[in-house]
Amino acid sequence: MNRKSSDTGSIIVFLLPAVLLFVGILVAPIIISTYYSVFDWRFPFDKVYCGFKNYKTLFTSDWYPLWGSIKNVFVLAALSLLIQLPLSLGLALMLGRGIKGERFFLSVNFLPVLISTVVIGLLWRRMYDAEGGIINPILRSLGIIGEENIQWLEANGDKLLMACIIPMLWQYVGYHMLLMYAGVKSVAPELREAAMIDGATPWQVDRFVVIPSMKQVLKVSVIFSVTGSLKSYDLVSILAGDRTSAAAVPSTVLMNTKSIGLYGMSSACAVVIIILCFVAAVLINALFRERD
Amino acid sequence: MKKFLSTMLVVVMVLSLAACGKKNNNDDGSDPNAAYVAPDMTKSVTLNFWSICVPTDSNRGAYDDAIKDMKAKYPNITLNELATQNDEYKQKIKDAFQAGEVADIFFTWSCAFLGDFVQAGKVYCLDNAFKDPDLKDAIDTKMCNNSMYNGKKYGVPLTMNIVTLFANMDILKEVGYNDVPATYDDLMACCDKLVAAGKIPFGCAAGANQEWCVTEYVESIIEKSCGAKTLDDIFQGRASWGNADVASAIDKFQDMIKKGYFDPNGQSMDNEQVKNNFIAGKYAFYINGSWNCADFAKVDGLNVKASEFPVIDASKSKLGQLIGGPSDTLAVFGNGANKEIAAKYALELGRLISKYGYLCGAGLPAWKVDYPATDINPLTQAVAEIVDKSDYLVLFGDTAMNSVDKDIYLKEIANVYGGQVNGQKFIDDLKKAIR
Repeated sequence: MNRKSSDTGSIIVFLLPAVLLFVGILVAPIIISTYYSVFDWRFPFDKVYCGFKNYKTLFTSDWYPLWGSIKNVFVLAALSLLIQLPLSLGLALMLGRGIKGERFFLSVNFLPVLISTVVIGLLWRRMYDAEGGIINPILRSLGIIGEENIQWLEANGDKLLMACIIPMLWQYVGYHMLLMYAGVKSVAPELREAAMIDGATPWQVDRFVVIPSMKQVLKVSVIFSVTGSLKSYDLVSILAGDRTSAAAVPSTVLMNTKSIGLYGMSSACAVVIIILCFVAAVLINALFRERD
Repeated sequence: MKKFLSTMLVVVMVLSLAACGKKNNNDDGSDPNAAYVAPDMTKSVTLNFWSICVPTDSNRGAYDDAIKDMKAKYPNITLNELATQNDEYKQKIKDAFQAGEVADIFFTWSCAFLGDFVQAGKVYCLDNAFKDPDLKDAIDTKMCNNSMYNGKKYGVPLTMNIVTLFANMDILKEVGYNDVPATYDDLMACCDKLVAAGKIPFGCAAGANQEWCVTEYVESIIEKSCGAKTLDDIFQGRASWGNADVASAIDKFQDMIKKGYFDPNGQSMDNEQVKNNFIAGKYAFYINGSWNCADFAKVDGLNVKASEFPVIDASKSKLGQLIGGPSDTLAVFGNGANKEIAAKYALELGRLISKYGYLCGAGLPAWKVDYPATDINPLTQAVAEIVDKSDYLVLFGDTAMNSVDKDIYLKEIANVYGGQVNGQKFIDDLKKAIR
């Protein structure tokens, strides 16, 4: 009996710091945000209970485009899955075959992840510059555009969303590549060798041996990519600003409403982002489980 | 034991409430009949001061000189200044007020921005401090209007600025103009000539978070179309946005864009890029705040004239109606430990910042000029003359409005520049969204 209570005490003592951190940093803010989200709370006035009014406003108002921002992050998530992850996988498989300069290419591709997003945002701003940037001259030299200067970052212009998505995809290719590279390297060399002895081409080895073996890594990459898209903020904020509607993402709507003192509405926005990320993670898990 | 603890708890609660009550009943500096009592400025205290005057700010020199003078005058008062970037500061100050942890003296913008803090009852009233015999006649009462709420003064105005039409005279000479076009029709004719000659008449930043630059153009055109009083009433919420003159002014602005009067690359530029382009001679005109005077005056060979935007509808507007006014303000936190001392200190500091800011060309003085000011650059002097002749100052829309209305207004301004809404839609949207 004494032994049992002593064990329970030890378990509590060892678990307490982690539980406190988890509750204090994750659970409590979610509960508090959910609580605030049902109040009409505008600086400097006191909170007034308003039910789901904040959510309704966020999904119907022209000025706080949460609905449009959700559509935008779905586009981003889809492009991440269709372009970013296949590109990362391709690079990881290529480097995983032990090509010459493997370490060098690994570092080069990972470099954008190490650079501050603010620096990347400012860098791309310069590249997009209609007059002095390099994007327009490159496209012109390739014959893709004519003599006109494309305004990539025109406020609320139709190219703004894509102009924000491209650097986001580019920045994290290296991150997913590194995750997948670790997955590729974890495949037992004997399996590769056995397949090759059986006459499989390098592509067939990757397709039928390597990729099926790294399903868990792919799942993690898909979850990170999709939830990362749902939480994206910094690059959009730098390239398009927090007041944008054309390239709005839920986090810019959150920061916009918070900065103007609409605390109840920004809390509602935070809750929506949490729900989106949670649902996305559960769906992806379920999808991979079914395929298993 | 339980009984004893309960009794003690009740005693502590009663004492706490009494203490709170006493605190709230403290002199808030607003008694109109109270005689001026000078605070003890020899007392050894530390005052915290929050500003937006980061090292790259054009006012930094003025702040440094003013603080140096204040430290020499009041050696027992230690001033700890913390400067934060403008946008970051706007968020920080609101969060600080929510938490009740604000510096003794803090920088703010007048009208709605300071009004929110005053409404929350957390700003010290400066009526008594303004009774100081050394200071009461040093400022014109009208300069305090933007920081007065319910007839009480809550802010110390620093410098003031107006929207100014800067013209590059060398470029204008190339199309046959020796002076800035004085009428709206003449200005448009000049723009046509500039476009025909392959020149760009105007540069305006409209990239991310640069909507304020567009408002400098839009507000000038609206004011000279519908008149200062009407625009002021709209900004202050006394009149509706549903005004046909405003719609017509927006259409005029969009016509100017369609006619190629604006640099199309401005849509993705920030203000620094546009300003540098103007300095480099890329544009004939640049409409922006008068705080640019000092920077333009420093450039050798840059032949710039400052003037006001011409009148569009003479039956409703006239010259002398300007956009701008005293907005940069100091205020005193209402729950600070040394608020009487902080109030006097803020007034004197504000007066000195106003003086040194004017002398270095960073802005026009909100306080009376009772010192030699002959070395000021000609551009700033020209703007000072325009202000002297003015009879109505309408504060910048994004300062006059509360944060929520301002946000909607700036979003719609971006839509105007991008051509997503026309004049009628602009007024319809704002009429519906801004109460």
